[in-house]
Amino acid sequence: MNSARSLEMAMETKNSFFQNIKRQKYAYLLILPAMIFVFVFSYLPLAGIILAFKDFDIIKGVINSPWVGFDNFIAIFTYPNMLRAIKNTLIYGCVILFGGFPFPIILALLFNELKNMRFKKVVQTIAYMPHFLSWISVIGLFYTFLATEGAFNQIMAWLIGSGYIAKNPLMSEQHFLPIIFLSHLWKSVGWSSVIFLAAIAGIDPTLYEAATVDGCGKLKQVWHITMPCIKTTVIIVLVMSLGTLVNTNFEQVYGFQNVYTQENTEVINTLIYRQGIQNGKYSLATAFGLAQGFVTLTLLLVSNAISKKLYETSIW
Amino acid sequence: MKQSLSEKNFNMLNIILMILICIVTLYPYLNQLAISFNDGMDTMMGGITVYPRKFTTESYKAVFSNSDFLGAVFISVTRVLLSTSLSLLVVFSAAYGLTRKNLNYRKEITLFLMIPAYISAGVIPAYMLFRYLNLINSYWIYIFPGCFAFYNMVIIRSFLQEIPESIEESAKIDGANDIQIMFMIIVPLSLPVLATVALWLSVGSWNDWTTTLMYITDSDLFPLQYLMMRLIKESETAQQMALEATMNKSANVIVSKPTSESVKAATLILTTLPIILVYPFLQKYFIKGVVLGAVKE
Repeated sequence: MNSARSLEMAMETKNSFFQNIKRQKYAYLLILPAMIFVFVFSYLPLAGIILAFKDFDIIKGVINSPWVGFDNFIAIFTYPNMLRAIKNTLIYGCVILFGGFPFPIILALLFNELKNMRFKKVVQTIAYMPHFLSWISVIGLFYTFLATEGAFNQIMAWLIGSGYIAKNPLMSEQHFLPIIFLSHLWKSVGWSSVIFLAAIAGIDPTLYEAATVDGCGKLKQVWHITMPCIKTTVIIVLVMSLGTLVNTNFEQVYGFQNVYTQENTEVINTLIYRQGIQNGKYSLATAFGLAQGFVTLTLLLVSNAISKKLYETSIW
Repeated sequence: MKQSLSEKNFNMLNIILMILICIVTLYPYLNQLAISFNDGMDTMMGGITVYPRKFTTESYKAVFSNSDFLGAVFISVTRVLLSTSLSLLVVFSAAYGLTRKNLNYRKEITLFLMIPAYISAGVIPAYMLFRYLNLINSYWIYIFPGCFAFYNMVIIRSFLQEIPESIEESAKIDGANDIQIMFMIIVPLSLPVLATVALWLSVGSWNDWTTTLMYITDSDLFPLQYLMMRLIKESETAQQMALEATMNKSANVIVSKPTSESVKAATLILTTLPIILVYPFLQKYFIKGVVLGAVKE
């Protein structure tokens, strides 16, 4: 077609775009601030991904720093401490995710059985408290609790009797994992039960009535009615939490680390922080972060696909 | 309905377990409260449980007269107010805009807003951007970057979709435009969901300290949580030094404990107090947010 016609068509498309905007101009105006913020703070940093493929020299700037291709990603396997960080991340991640997973569910089931509404409300309110505290506050509480003159050692001395030497578990590496696990439970089990409680509350009560008529005891009812009915919720929560396998809670780990334990308890997130921000190794840290993000996304997509196949449940 | 014996036993056990949970949850906090009201020297001897042995308000006085602390309170309070307000405005407007009829690019916009929730460039690229924008060591880093969270918008949008169209239509007939309708009609109707999101944002903002860790070195800009982190790390270093001194039997080493346990405890209590006082009464808003988010699935 001739150029006049194609120019006309291009201008028509352009016009219809502006016409579309004009038709709903207030709506677009309302959405605009959000789009600007997201563009600036979420999309612009994506340009920084290029750092992962260069050997960033602060003097040369981004453009003039030499290109190194995938060298920084290969460094994941050779960088000192990185492999250990990966191992720690996976261990902590698995223990917290899979070890901690049953507890909120069990708690929700138990909450559901409480007959006195007042008592139930009070217990729930108390159980939710640690969730609203910052990790720093929780860590502060734990430091006091586990100190040599603190309550933990007092209780142990009382249990074990004479001959018990008081020591602070936070100063030894072997105790790091149990502390991480238990503090995670303490902080989150109450609040995590909320979503399961909501799911349990949504179960049709006539199901339970029918089961009672058929002579089913409490335990059987839980196994055959409650559990299957909350299955969807359980799976969705699990799928959405899978990212934490690779993405340990920075605040928690960094907060609990100290001079005694730092060397061997490094996880991917703390390593990225120390090497990236503290030591200025921008390129490496970017590459590590990207690799981690990639694994997280893959975990999410794969588990979503699996749950769709197996359980017909998925996030999207 | 008569309860069988085993059911009675189960309920009894359940109640006992619940009480245990309450004790385990509350004890560390009450312990801290007791220490904060206890004399500093006396605390070092250990053995405090849930009541102060030597009551004193010295620690609190020390905390309140510390200018670093007061400065941190100012930073924390103002940043919560500012960031929550801005974020609510931006997120609510976007949610409302997206519910308008005949929006031609709705799908594309939603996708644009959603992708960053799953893909992020990471800390270092963010750091580079902030440097470029002069946000490093600037107060505004607490306010602008975290402004829009897709999840919050989804919660509000779900709520807005329940509002009957007739309300807006009658306003449109009266000649109002979308923005006027939003501020004068929809916002008042949306107070519950606004409260929910506002609470989430406030708690998150109050408790945040990693932003400071990564992007701020100016001590004038430290919020309360960051101050507390420094206190904890510092007192833990002092603990280690004290332990090493006793291990090496160097009785001559005078280990100066920069901050007493009691002062640290007082700081912790004060930092957590606003949230502890407020959340029990606003529980239902927080819970609603969780449920709304899940139901949307």
